[in-house]
Amino acid sequence: MRCPVDGKVIVVTSGKGGVGKTTITASIGAALALQGKRVAVVDMDIGLRNLDVVMGLENRIVFNIVDIIQGRCKIKQAAIKDRRIDNLYLIPASQSDDKNAIKPENMVWLCGKLKKEFDITLLDCPAGIEQGFKNSIVAADEAVVVCTPEVSAVRDADRIIGLLYAQSITPKLIVNRIVPRMVENGDMLSHEDVVEVLSIDLLGLIEMDEYVVVSTNTGNPLVLEPESKAGKALQRIAMRLDGHPDLPIENPMIQKTFWKKFSEKFSRKN
Amino acid sequence: MNLQEETPPVKLKGVGDSLWVTINPTLPVEDLKQALIGPFERLKHLAINARIIIDTGAEDTDDRDALIETMGAFLKKEFQVGHVTKPVAPDRSVTQKRIRQQDMGNSWHHYQNDGLVMAGRVRSGQKIQAKKHLIVLGDVNPGAEAIAGGDIIIMGSLQGKASAGQPNNEGAIIVALEFKPTQIQIGGFVAGGMADSAKNRPEFAYIEENAIVVDDYIKENPFRRLAWPEVR
Repeated sequence: MRCPVDGKVIVVTSGKGGVGKTTITASIGAALALQGKRVAVVDMDIGLRNLDVVMGLENRIVFNIVDIIQGRCKIKQAAIKDRRIDNLYLIPASQSDDKNAIKPENMVWLCGKLKKEFDITLLDCPAGIEQGFKNSIVAADEAVVVCTPEVSAVRDADRIIGLLYAQSITPKLIVNRIVPRMVENGDMLSHEDVVEVLSIDLLGLIEMDEYVVVSTNTGNPLVLEPESKAGKALQRIAMRLDGHPDLPIENPMIQKTFWKKFSEKFSRKN
Repeated sequence: MNLQEETPPVKLKGVGDSLWVTINPTLPVEDLKQALIGPFERLKHLAINARIIIDTGAEDTDDRDALIETMGAFLKKEFQVGHVTKPVAPDRSVTQKRIRQQDMGNSWHHYQNDGLVMAGRVRSGQKIQAKKHLIVLGDVNPGAEAIAGGDIIIMGSLQGKASAGQPNNEGAIIVALEFKPTQIQIGGFVAGGMADSAKNRPEFAYIEENAIVVDDYIKENPFRRLAWPEVR
């Protein structure tokens, strides 16, 4: 019998779809569990669940979050334990209902229970600003906003930040899918441009990484892949979220050879 | 509040040691008497034994003189002024010291100007609306809106949408320290923002010849030409 812990609930949101919320939620959950914390990862995308696919646990789903809320099962029965990483549990979404199946009061009750069981609960928020989003933020203690360096993503993240502030939650920012070569050429926004508009604290910068595609398709955790830059960045982000908030942020940069730096210095006219 | 100044029926000025009262001779006497009550009451003790010069315009006809008589009698009775005279043509042969003219009519009013001052960042999806003027100490993000019945002044970066002079004040301006809006509107005129238009200097938008023009605010400050501060 575990003694009750005083956990916290962190919601991972973005506004825009497809920026990497689900991958980041799964990876931060895995990284925190590897650091010894008891972690629950909850899929809030009712009707379009995919956190289970990314974590490689889709074959083991029996009960889901709607079953818990409607009283058909207990939390212990629905939470799926990851066999590769200790202390990591997934509460999957339902694929047949839609987002109106849960109300904000249900989430307040559920998060209250989860806070007593798990050190950290991560909520994978769906895209948009409607019922799914409202359900996810109502009981959250902290929020992480994921944004890619694109004008449309920044616009949507800005809206989400306004809504989070209205809920009295101060969000932190992760800039995902940075391509340093494009930033250097001026084809892509730099993370400083994004931070200037969004004006919230930066939690981490993640470079575009092909290992992410392999990991999400096979269901193998990204943070267990030693060659992945994104995996390492996510481990640092997990450390910053829990215990080491002052860990310095590494800016993804292209590796320049000595001659390139030399010629750049002399070719620049001042 | 009415933006245009109507020609008031009476005007008061202090000239030298007398009070110069300019009245509109076409209006009925009762209206003029009513209009005089306000300013003279505000003058209070300054009006007692004062020298009044009543100016009815350029023409010097008999009924103008009669008018001056009537108004003079009225002022003496109500406010105990001293002399009341017609304006005398100044002696041009002697150069006179320039006397600073104070607009006695307006300086007595304590104008309250309706300006909404907001500090902070206006985020995408948020809208700030002011009945008259709007001042934002902060940035306006793309996707945000600022709407005002008068001018819009952004002490920061304007990257969203600004609509000044709603619904039909075409004298309104939009000033921003960093001017790169997605769209601006002044009165009924709309203009889209151009992609590479931001320069690192304050710019402002105004209407000229039925089109919206954007200029450098420091170099082309339109208010430099005004002789004294006016209420906007």
